[in-house]
Amino acid sequence: MSVLRMILKGGELMPKLNIPPPHGGELVNRVIEKRDYAESMAAGAIEFDLKPTTLPDGTPIRHVYREIMSVCYGFFSPVEGSMTSADLEGVLKERRLENGWVFPYPILLDVSDEDLKALDVKEGDRLLLKLKGQPFAVMDVEEIYKINPEEVATRTFGTPEDNPEVVREPFNEKHPGYMIYKMMNSNVIAGKWTIINPPKFREPYDRFWLPPAECRTVIKYVKKWRTCIAHQTRNVPHTGHEALMKNAAYTGDIEPCHGILVNAIIGAKRRGDYPNEAILEGHEAVNKYGYIKPSRHMVTFTLWDMRYGNPIESLLHGIIRQNMGCTHHMFGRDHAAVGEYYDKYATQILWSKGIPSFGFEAPPNEVEKGLKIIPQNMAEFWYCPVCGEIAYSENCGHVDKKQKFSGSFLRGMVAEGVMPPKVVMRPEVYKAIVKWWKVFNYPFVNKKYLENLNANLEVNLEPMEIPKA
Amino acid sequence: MVHYIGVILDESRYEQIKGTPIEEKVQSIFGGALKMLVVEVPEDKSEQILKAFDRARIDSRGFIEDVPVAFRRAVFEEIVKNKSLDIIDKVLERLPEIQELAKKEDEYIPPPEIE
Repeated sequence: MSVLRMILKGGELMPKLNIPPPHGGELVNRVIEKRDYAESMAAGAIEFDLKPTTLPDGTPIRHVYREIMSVCYGFFSPVEGSMTSADLEGVLKERRLENGWVFPYPILLDVSDEDLKALDVKEGDRLLLKLKGQPFAVMDVEEIYKINPEEVATRTFGTPEDNPEVVREPFNEKHPGYMIYKMMNSNVIAGKWTIINPPKFREPYDRFWLPPAECRTVIKYVKKWRTCIAHQTRNVPHTGHEALMKNAAYTGDIEPCHGILVNAIIGAKRRGDYPNEAILEGHEAVNKYGYIKPSRHMVTFTLWDMRYGNPIESLLHGIIRQNMGCTHHMFGRDHAAVGEYYDKYATQILWSKGIPSFGFEAPPNEVEKGLKIIPQNMAEFWYCPVCGEIAYSENCGHVDKKQKFSGSFLRGMVAEGVMPPKVVMRPEVYKAIVKWWKVFNYPFVNKKYLENLNANLEVNLEPMEIPKA
Repeated sequence: MVHYIGVILDESRYEQIKGTPIEEKVQSIFGGALKMLVVEVPEDKSEQILKAFDRARIDSRGFIEDVPVAFRRAVFEEIVKNKSLDIIDKVLERLPEIQELAKKEDEYIPPPEIE
């Protein structure tokens, strides 16, 4: 039974919430800062240059370095590295790791036949993973096994036949997350990762990098938030998002949530989304210009090449934000979705009653070894000309007069060079879009942006000499 | 099922339809902050549009979105030329030309000059 339900049922708990424990019990921290220890860990290891996953036309759609960062800094706790075949099967079958903890997505270091042959690696060997030509991480090889990438892709997201509760259309090559798994190499090297050369984030990412351990400290001792609701984003905020944040934050316990943690997903995105930089600075503008006080609103990010997996993605979001110290998570309609593959309310179905075919007979926060974060399922916000304000769909009775917010409508306006009215988008948020538009000569993600992002990544690494064994 | 294309009217566009029969069809949205013309598109024609532009989609309001800027401009040009909102056939006749212009948009869209 969740903490909230115990409260509502008049259980013995005090009606006050506190920061939940990390998923799996403790935060993973696999980062070595001390250079001499790092060098000794890497000495004699077999070198491997990390490579992006690409579409057939060469467009980069994923870089495994982002997963290594998110694992080693604890965002994905309790996952500690590239999954073994037993972990992978558990995740695909019932969204559970071999140890029973809920986890939604395969996390894999996949390599081509040519690379595997050249590496000549076997179980028990140590690999030195290099990024941008520099040592980055090491991994002790636990298992090497084969996958069928298309099967992994299909089982990751589900099918209308196997998951009739929420899957409406078969996944195909138009779905960016499906393509990430489908385009993986068919060899997986499993083992725990340890970062030995912590990367330095470039601007503007450096301002927003707050790994879970530090985030928990900031929430508790700097912001002094006892309760905190997470806001998932892959978008620059319009006023509908702002209304969602403000209103969802009225949940809490004896008072509204003390804080709102915006956590942007940063990585390769589908063409037509906004650039990562504009997303972060757009959300920053919300607190910088006082639309939500900075004392109550904080912008952070997680490195992850978004899979757009609606209910599956919501599980990862819950895990990340619980690990970061959030008590609640807001989930809207069409959460982390693209296209019509899932039911529009698939995420809310998962978090309100579970999806048995995905391994959840009950919501993920009510199952054994599940999450502790509390969902806040929200309906829609629209502009009501009668009320003369942004209204919540469950309050506003002028349904036939509603003017819905549409991200794609706003993108069309932006592309035409029309400044959105401030009732729809704050001028400072629009300025953040234009700032980065001028840098990239384009307001949205396109092939050139993805290639540029893949070449430069979000980080730089300092040179590091590894002693020979 | 009918879908829609929304054409945003900034000042310069509004001037071009002012005094024509189209002016009375202008819709005011978001508390009067934005003016828009709405073109109805029969389903078979919206399918043609979705097929022509790989990122185009129908949003939750039933509007055809994520179309190239060149397409939106062509819609407005045809509205002005024909002084009518019944112009979707004329726009579809221009699809090859619009698709050529749209290819250039994949690389560059000029940013607006704002302070």
